[in-house]
Amino acid sequence: MTRNPAHPRLTLAITAALATALGACSAPGESGSESKSTSGPIKIAVVNAQSGQLSSLGDWEYKGAKLAVDEWNKKGGVNGRKIELKLFDDQGDPTTGTNIARKLDSQGYIAMIGTAESAVTIAMAPVLQQAEIPNITSGQSDKLVAQKSPFLFLNGPTSTTYDTTLAKYLIEDKQHKNIAMITNNGSFGKGEHDAFLKAAKDLGVTPSTDQIVTTDQKDFSSALTKIRAEKPEVIFIGSEEVEAGLIVKQARDLGITAPFAGAAPQGTPVFMDTAGKAAVEGTIVSSPYLSNDVSPAAKKFADAYQAAYKEEAEMHGAKAYDGANILLTALDTSKGATGKKLADAIRATRHDGLLGDFAYDETGVGITQTAIGVIRDGKLVAEQ
Amino acid sequence: MKLRIGGLAAMIVVAWLLPYGLGSYAIHVVNIALIYALLAIGMGLAMGISGQINLAQVAFFGVGAYVVAILTTHNGYGFWAASALALLATVATGLFVGVPALRMQSHYLGIVTLGLALGFLNWITNATITGGADGISGIPLPTLPGIDLSSEYLYYYVELVVCVLGLAFGLFVVRTALGRRLRAMRDDSLAASAMGAQIPLLRMTAFVLASLYGGMAGILYAGLIRYVAPETFSIANMFILLAMVIIGGRRSLVGCVVGAIGLTLIREWLSDFSTYAQLGYGVVVVLMVVFAPTGLAGVPGLVRDAVRRRSRTSGGPRAELRPFTPYEVSPPPDDQATGPLLDIRAVTKDFRGLRALDDVSLSVLPGEIRGIVGPNGSGKTTLFNVVSGFYRATSGQVRLSGRDTTATRPYTLSLLGVARTFQNLRLFSHLTVRENILVALDRTRTHTIWRYVLWPPGVLRQERRLRTQAQELLDRFGLADFADTPPGSLPYGIQRRIEIARAMAARPRLLLLDEPAAGLNGEEVGQLAHMVRSIRDSGTTVVLIEHNMGLVMSLCEQVTVLAGGRVIAEGTPPEVVASPAVIEAYLGDSEMAQDAREAAPPLTATTPHLPSPSPSNSEEAAR
Repeated sequence: MTRNPAHPRLTLAITAALATALGACSAPGESGSESKSTSGPIKIAVVNAQSGQLSSLGDWEYKGAKLAVDEWNKKGGVNGRKIELKLFDDQGDPTTGTNIARKLDSQGYIAMIGTAESAVTIAMAPVLQQAEIPNITSGQSDKLVAQKSPFLFLNGPTSTTYDTTLAKYLIEDKQHKNIAMITNNGSFGKGEHDAFLKAAKDLGVTPSTDQIVTTDQKDFSSALTKIRAEKPEVIFIGSEEVEAGLIVKQARDLGITAPFAGAAPQGTPVFMDTAGKAAVEGTIVSSPYLSNDVSPAAKKFADAYQAAYKEEAEMHGAKAYDGANILLTALDTSKGATGKKLADAIRATRHDGLLGDFAYDETGVGITQTAIGVIRDGKLVAEQ
Repeated sequence: MKLRIGGLAAMIVVAWLLPYGLGSYAIHVVNIALIYALLAIGMGLAMGISGQINLAQVAFFGVGAYVVAILTTHNGYGFWAASALALLATVATGLFVGVPALRMQSHYLGIVTLGLALGFLNWITNATITGGADGISGIPLPTLPGIDLSSEYLYYYVELVVCVLGLAFGLFVVRTALGRRLRAMRDDSLAASAMGAQIPLLRMTAFVLASLYGGMAGILYAGLIRYVAPETFSIANMFILLAMVIIGGRRSLVGCVVGAIGLTLIREWLSDFSTYAQLGYGVVVVLMVVFAPTGLAGVPGLVRDAVRRRSRTSGGPRAELRPFTPYEVSPPPDDQATGPLLDIRAVTKDFRGLRALDDVSLSVLPGEIRGIVGPNGSGKTTLFNVVSGFYRATSGQVRLSGRDTTATRPYTLSLLGVARTFQNLRLFSHLTVRENILVALDRTRTHTIWRYVLWPPGVLRQERRLRTQAQELLDRFGLADFADTPPGSLPYGIQRRIEIARAMAARPRLLLLDEPAAGLNGEEVGQLAHMVRSIRDSGTTVVLIEHNMGLVMSLCEQVTVLAGGRVIAEGTPPEVVASPAVIEAYLGDSEMAQDAREAAPPLTATTPHLPSPSPSNSEEAAR
């Protein structure tokens, strides 16, 4: 029993360790990017929440991007190569987002579409920049622009664009002086709040009241009562589809007759259905994509979407469709380039899309204007 | 031992070489896993080791990360300076979150800490300084001379060093005096305080430890991701963390680490099916709680037990209770020179409408063996609880060697030399017999835990001394064979003896024994009498409550009889038994008293007991 059983094992371990250490004298790291091959299918990732509260948004976006990729593949792909689209679930969690960003790098994805949530996109941005993977996001937060990443592109206008257009319309065209605000404290609502407040103040109007609600609130009577007391001419609303619908419905129940004005969510069917047709009459919407029949291209997209998924197209799908088309066009013109060359190609791409004419500048924003629409008889129509 | 060191060395070598075999994605996942491992160690220290349900761990994590983010981006601090301040801020938060633990325990504490975590989440979502829902980006890269931390491979080594040091410190705490007191508090906070542990301070310590690890994890997170947003610190992530600790095994820090790393890797592996995976974690947690409450860390123990149970018939030397070795006789103190050791003056104790003690006066001289008898419900255990500090007398005074101890806390009384046993055994069930003894042997004030931070060798030296003493004590009480067994698995008679050994480990001047003979057979009662006499001869004064009149008659010089909360008789055993008041108190049953008197001189196994009108544990109901 004097023989120690640990010794042979220990010696073995040390020997193995030394051997490995000698074999790898340098600091650890991945050598080169042999995975980004120049033949075979082109790998593009869609990253979006597929579980949790934002999953419907993620679903729409994936469908929009998939539609564009399918159309390109039908035409023979890019530069003779097929495009392979894979969906990743970020669970709305920034940490998971960074995991996925690393995964995209090591699995040889050359570009990413998504996410719809600014916080996740911002968390991923440094990793993607380091890995030189261009990312076309659906977020609209001005914080995205503040990242100053040459690999980050927006597939729509920023909150500032939405709200500057809206503020100009309300204050300059309509001469409104008494404007009330109600926004939520989520990422989207906060962005809307800050952008609209700044735009209005720049035009010389300070909102009469500024009400903040939470993202999971269901009863808004206290905020709305305060708004009613101010007798505003118009109420700016910064909130997602369902909550905005509830706010408008409850406002009408409280006897507020002033029209609401907001950005893209207020133009969606979900918003109109939640609030009710009568309640949303006269709502003013600032959106790059007013409806499926705003242009022939939009009609064509909406029909293809309907045919593919048996459901009505809406703005998020259209944005992702535009984003995917821009990416694929850039891939086509650059003959399947990757990394920095691909990012430059995206920046150089001029695309006449569903949302407007895309022309990217160094900030990564490709569209700097929106259209004003008004809801009449349950339909969003362009304001002349 | 050498096998373990060899295994440990191999583990370290593997951990050191790991990055050479991993891609950039895998190393990132490992980095995240290590951060969760740190969080889980903190959680394990609070929940598993100290029994403080802490659902605010994710808030500690958030405070650490956010303070670094705010100080570096808004105030221009360097990363490491900001980290030091972040650690301070997290510990302050830990103290704040720990305050409710002083007032409430178990699921109430869980709800309160969860509420505080939600409050934190709400604040970071709404405050301007935290960037609201957008979070804070652009946290600068931590710098180390000569090492480029923008490489996640090199960052891994920083995390590895912090993690290994964190785990080592955690294990050091758990296996030495502080950890034993924390675990004793988890198993039975009342008994722990009677053994000299200062419970409120220990509860705060548990939260400080948890917050320390949470803060370190937050700092590493800020340095790795360099962006913070509220979603990272959500309640959903809190429950993932909880799942890690429960699956890994909350009572073992190594188990917590295994759970954290394992679940992070599995989560990543299943990330394409996250909806179903989350359901899966829930199911696994429930299965774990039902079938393996000690988690993965407990599985080897369960297997070992099963194997041992099967092979028990095959023999081997059986563990047995060895005879008690008497203490050396110390010269009896001079009664005239010193006053009474315990002096109870006109003590009254009311529980709302019920008067449990009514004007009780009693004094016990040094070197005495005093018996306290009386029917059930007469206030005997209440009297013990007043003397040992669990209850504060409504009026009257308790004095110990002339010092007023009426309002003194149990842990202080323990350090002053009062030890007790409990009528219903209150051993620390998840500690071994040896550790039970060690808890009581540790006579230091709880605040001496500063040494863990500033002078760990002092802790080790004390530890070595305590272990020698523990072995002596185990040998003296014949318990050496059971030293490394948890007491719950031992026969009742042995557990009774462990309680007495544990009380004696505190080297008391006054030993209070609450029904030490209850449940013992005749032979064991004889051993008990022998033991109590030897304890008295060693210089410890003994007061015992007992229903076994034979034992009282043979052992005690003086007997006090309580009935209805009052002293109805006091004197030598024969005097007391003859007292008409005593006979009346025992339902006027003079025959019973007659029996007791006859049984008095020789102690026999078939000693009659005084009648017990109600179940014997009713006296302890009001604690």
